[in-house]
Amino acid sequence: MSDIKNPFESLQDYFDELLPSDELLKSIDATKKVEQSASANIASAIKTSVKTPVAHAAVRITAITAMQEFAEPDVDKKEKLQKLLSSAQPHIVVAPIVNVKTTFMADPTEIQEWVIETAAPIVETQTLETQAVVEADVTTQQFHMPGLEWMPNGLPQWAQSRFDVLLFKVSGLTLAVPLISLGQIQPITDELTPLFGQADWFMGFQPTPQGKIRTVNTAKFVMPERYDESFVKNAKYVVSINGVPWGLAVDSVNQPISLKPEDVKWRSDRSKRPWLAGTVKEHMCALLDIPMIGQMLVDADKNALKSRV
Amino acid sequence: MVNDAVKNKGSDDPVLQWVTFRLDGETYGINVMQVQEVLRYTEIAPVPGAPSYVLGIINLRGNVVTVIDTRHRFNLPSGDITDNTRIVIIETDRHVIGILVDSVAEVVYLRQSEIEMAPNVGNEESAKFIQGVCHKNNELLILIELNKLLTSEEWNELEDV
Repeated sequence: MSDIKNPFESLQDYFDELLPSDELLKSIDATKKVEQSASANIASAIKTSVKTPVAHAAVRITAITAMQEFAEPDVDKKEKLQKLLSSAQPHIVVAPIVNVKTTFMADPTEIQEWVIETAAPIVETQTLETQAVVEADVTTQQFHMPGLEWMPNGLPQWAQSRFDVLLFKVSGLTLAVPLISLGQIQPITDELTPLFGQADWFMGFQPTPQGKIRTVNTAKFVMPERYDESFVKNAKYVVSINGVPWGLAVDSVNQPISLKPEDVKWRSDRSKRPWLAGTVKEHMCALLDIPMIGQMLVDADKNALKSRV
Repeated sequence: MVNDAVKNKGSDDPVLQWVTFRLDGETYGINVMQVQEVLRYTEIAPVPGAPSYVLGIINLRGNVVTVIDTRHRFNLPSGDITDNTRIVIIETDRHVIGILVDSVAEVVYLRQSEIEMAPNVGNEESAKFIQGVCHKNNELLILIELNKLLTSEEWNELEDV
């Protein structure tokens, strides 16, 4: 009897087994190292596999709609989804402690470089006191995604009451994302343009009527150790993250569902997989902390500061 | 030098000219003022002991010009030489070199405001070659910073080739 685990523990074991054990930040570093030796192959694989299958994207999308379990929502459902997205976005709660300004983040090394470059001429003509003021101002340049904060009750800010999530599939894994953090859903087309010299989880730019979406290879980003190259062939949509120019590539998009906070087994150890908010037993899915993912993506971009300063 | 290529249609948003070329299916752009000429592919004489990114040298009207393997430099897979293959002779701060490309397309005009900063995620050195990106004529143009194509040490190495 004692061997029987409760359902939440079983589900947690399932995700522990399915998902990589190292935290994402470490995995990014690890993939950076791996990519140096493998980037040429991966770039080639992405290029050949992305371009060919999506050449007839419009035709395939129509066919797939009828065939797949998780297919593109029909027009009515799509409109409903867009309304939900639109209605959800204004409800983003910005914590009063967040210092947003018209600013952008940078990784600490970039900030340090910026300080050195701008502070140097000032030191020649002004006092050290002035330099300190400049440094203090630079620290406020950091960009913070709205909704990053987790409340003392162990729940994220966006899940203090009933909230809507969108389900989608990535390499067989069902993921759920809170609607308040999502921007738009666009098909991945043959216009997806890879960029050399980037991390292997960066698929490229997907041009859309609303601008270019920096598309993340979600499968490689979330579970690099179980990555299957077929994902780049199967990925059909990019789900953009509200507030940042990034989006997640997904195989298929399902309908939005509504969850109560108690429906989720919230993660207590946030250091292991900071992007994982929790698990939902009823839907056998992992709930992503999209604001955290958005922040991590922005943090990973060394050019982010330059583009805003 | 870059400013020489500027058409001042409003001082706040200058227009720059870019020569576009194709490489491994993507379109790249380089500042037109850094392009001296475009040559059809000619035999490139390999240089023993040269760095891996150097294809060899060519004789350009009596001058020796080093030709860079652009695909290798960008960590792209090797490609075949075709009738469209070109050697673009470029002038950087200190050197005149050739870069081998799949084909040369056209000259485009881009407003400064149309150019977006590209992301830099990862640790690859080659990311610094990218000056920005721009969506033009229904395709994404990747703009190259030629002056950063080689490090100062590598430029010095070229002098020994």
